[in-house]
Amino acid sequence: MTVHSTKTKEKIGKAVFAAAAIICVIAVVAIFAFLIYKSIPAFGKLGILEFMFGDHWSPDRLDTYDSPLSGTYGIFTMIVGTLAATSGALLIGGIVGYFTAVFLAFYCPARPKRILTSVIQVLAGIPSVVYGFFGIVFLLPMLSRIAPNNGSGLLATSIILGIMILPTVVSLSETGLEAVPRAYYEGSVAMGATHSETVFRIMTPAASSSITASLVLGIGRALGETMAVVMVAGNAPTYPNGLFGSFRVLTSNIVMEMGYAGEVQEGALVATGVVLLLFVLVVNLIFGAISGRKPGAVVGKRKERRLAKARCSRGIRIKDTIGALAHKLHAVKLGRGMAIGSGILTGAVLLLVIGFIFIKGLPYLLQNPSLIYGKYEFGSHNITILPAIVTTLYAVLISLLIAIPIGVMTAIFLNEYAKKENIFVRLIRSAIDILSGVPSIVYGLFGMITFVKIFGGSSNILAGALTVSIMLLPIVVRSTEESLKSVADAMREGSLALGAGKLRTIFKIVLPSALPGILSAIILSMGRVISESAPFLYTMGSVITAVPKGLFDSGATLAVALYQLSGEGWYMNQAYATAVVLIVIVLALNLLAQQCAARLGRKLKGETNGKK
Amino acid sequence: MAKNKTASQSVAFGQNISVKNANLWYGDFQAIKNISMEIPERQVTAFIGPSGCGKSTLLKCFNRMNDLVDGCRVEGEFRIGDADIYGKTDVNDLRRNVGMVFQKPNPFPMSVYDNIAYGPRTFGIRKRSELDHIVETSLKQAAMWEELKDRLNKSALGLSGGQQQRLCIARALAVAPKIILMDEPTSALDPISTGKIEELCDELTKSTTIVIVTHNMQQATRISHKTGFFLLGELVEFGNTDDIFTSPVDVRTERYITGRFG
Ligand SMILES: Nc1ncnc2c1ncn2[C@@H]1O[C@H](COP(=O)(O)OP(=O)(O)OP(=O)(O)O)[C@@H](O)[C@H]1O
Ligand SMILES: [Mg+2]
Repeated sequence: MTVHSTKTKEKIGKAVFAAAAIICVIAVVAIFAFLIYKSIPAFGKLGILEFMFGDHWSPDRLDTYDSPLSGTYGIFTMIVGTLAATSGALLIGGIVGYFTAVFLAFYCPARPKRILTSVIQVLAGIPSVVYGFFGIVFLLPMLSRIAPNNGSGLLATSIILGIMILPTVVSLSETGLEAVPRAYYEGSVAMGATHSETVFRIMTPAASSSITASLVLGIGRALGETMAVVMVAGNAPTYPNGLFGSFRVLTSNIVMEMGYAGEVQEGALVATGVVLLLFVLVVNLIFGAISGRKPGAVVGKRKERRLAKARCSRGIRIKDTIGALAHKLHAVKLGRGMAIGSGILTGAVLLLVIGFIFIKGLPYLLQNPSLIYGKYEFGSHNITILPAIVTTLYAVLISLLIAIPIGVMTAIFLNEYAKKENIFVRLIRSAIDILSGVPSIVYGLFGMITFVKIFGGSSNILAGALTVSIMLLPIVVRSTEESLKSVADAMREGSLALGAGKLRTIFKIVLPSALPGILSAIILSMGRVISESAPFLYTMGSVITAVPKGLFDSGATLAVALYQLSGEGWYMNQAYATAVVLIVIVLALNLLAQQCAARLGRKLKGETNGKK
Repeated sequence: MAKNKTASQSVAFGQNISVKNANLWYGDFQAIKNISMEIPERQVTAFIGPSGCGKSTLLKCFNRMNDLVDGCRVEGEFRIGDADIYGKTDVNDLRRNVGMVFQKPNPFPMSVYDNIAYGPRTFGIRKRSELDHIVETSLKQAAMWEELKDRLNKSALGLSGGQQQRLCIARALAVAPKIILMDEPTSALDPISTGKIEELCDELTKSTTIVIVTHNMQQATRISHKTGFFLLGELVEFGNTDDIFTSPVDVRTERYITGRFG
């Protein structure tokens, strides 16, 4: 603790934080290097144009790069399928989401608003396999009544994806709507406009850029979604033909065939991943351009300036608008109806998804509690999800052990050390932006071809956890950095001015204050690990029968187990019960997150201690 | 460890500040222009001047808080006692000896006790009895012992603004600084709290040098022995407070203290 050793410690500390940040960059470089390395031979052999625009996909797993091809590899049907499903999702989720946001911001009384807000949080947390499962057991049978087939196809996919992008659209749009200055509202109402007229003619246009941004983010989410689509799209490599009929998207192409792919086929699947990633990156770029510098800050500086300008001319425009408005009263009334209807619909969707699965699954679970702890007997129908629970625990524990320290240290580096925006810092920030945009199936692909190969060729818990921990990094970094930012600089200065070093200031003053954010990063990450399935399927494995004995054993997490059980068709009761377990876990985490945030928030304000 | 506790003896920080030909730039902007001054020990020295004239900037040179500002460049000689503070001095050691109180009270989100013990703990004091003693003495010095002795374990954030500011002073005192810098410490406080802090300053000059930035002329006349008047980064006039306020040499000083500054 002499002056000299303190200095050394500070230096080491900084180096360690920087090293963590470098890991994030390395992860991105590794993923891209891998994608390029694996896809270039495929693009070369198949031809980029033939691959992208060929509409016939029938791979031969015996194809090698050294011999003439006997399969055909064209993904155009899937590109079309992806675009169609995304558009459908946008149409459904975008419209309902937009109006739900309007409802929340302008029509909903305080109490129901709190409820609906948590409903949306829960919707965001429900695993995609659960949505897919809901599609299989509820939506497809319903649709099959009017469909020529079992109901699968574009409509089902669009509905499921639409529900899945709802939370994204709602929460971002609502934030934007609520950021519109109150003065606009008052100005309009003061001129005699009604509440609804003001909402639809003044407030929503003013928030248009955040609403657009929310839709773009929704598109990104829909593009990258895998498992839910696999479960309801049908997956034949053909163009979507009308509302019903089997079709395939880019993500599902990877999932469907990765497990048994031959040499060229594997290359073609990685190339599919590259095409998918390009789509997603373009969408992210658009989002970035719309929402200012980086995702998250939806109402950017540019927008603020524009709003300020608009404020000056608004007065005149309001007058004009109101004149024209008399004729459009119908439209406004319709808007109000849509807002209220969408709000109710969103709540109803959650009730339906959860209610249906609970009604079907809970009784079975209560009657057969051994599902949770029983022992699997080969040849019998006594399914148990104990192995899946154990695997999930492993997955959560290990991936958090990796991602939380690296993510928190990266955030510390970015917020506490990298005040200057030099190239290195920008590199780290873009790395994190890119990581958060990579679709989970691409992580799965990466993990399968790197970690799994490194650890002996067959899927195992460590490989899966490593894969998913990369995916967690951006979540942890952002959530932590957000909370570090919320710690006032006056706290840091107070500590430094007392002669404390930077490390002590960080560990004793900054981090304790940022604890709520770090805790919420932990809870968010747990939720993510539990609900993901695409990155685990081929890295951690899909064995649902044996409790893993160590890190190098293979195993299915609960979400993967649900996918397996529902796919096979004759374990539907067990599948329902597994879905119930998943939903309960997600709900519990949600509650925990809210409690943590509230409690620690209060403590930070000194209310628990200094009541008197 | 033991060596560290007496680290303050390793460099001889005196109690007077001597500035020679100081210049400071924020990027291209020169905020301090060729300032030289001698701040005497164990007196109150006040910095006055219009907003943006560099008072805080100069103050923060004395404990090198300017190091935290990107693109800030300092030239000239700053000595505290004999120690050249931009030379070989360890910055944490310097800040331990030159305490600071900020414009807005900034108690840490922890208990009253932990707030005050933070500094001593930083320098390796761990023994509870020793810390207890320091907390009590510091609070007594800050004339807060009676009001706070029963709520030492309560969060400091529950205190009133005036109490918080005095706690921050007590927190600074806990590491036994030779000098305390105060940047408009009372600007966010009511008159009664302000009065208490002014009394405190007077009391503290028994053992410490105080440099205080203030926008309040009355405050400067009430508590300071020396006053420096700053304008656009320059030290226009520096002398005994009585002289500055009764017979300023420079016409700009006169205009400022009579409130006729444009
Ligand atoms: N971190 C900084 N970066 C760039 N310029 C700065 C910075 N801090 C202060 N300045 C500039 O330096 C000049 C002096 O600022 P300083 O804060 O020292 O003034 P001051 O006399 O304390 O004013 P006030 O009475 O308002 O506190 C101002 O012009 C200010 O804009
Ligand atoms: Mg100032």
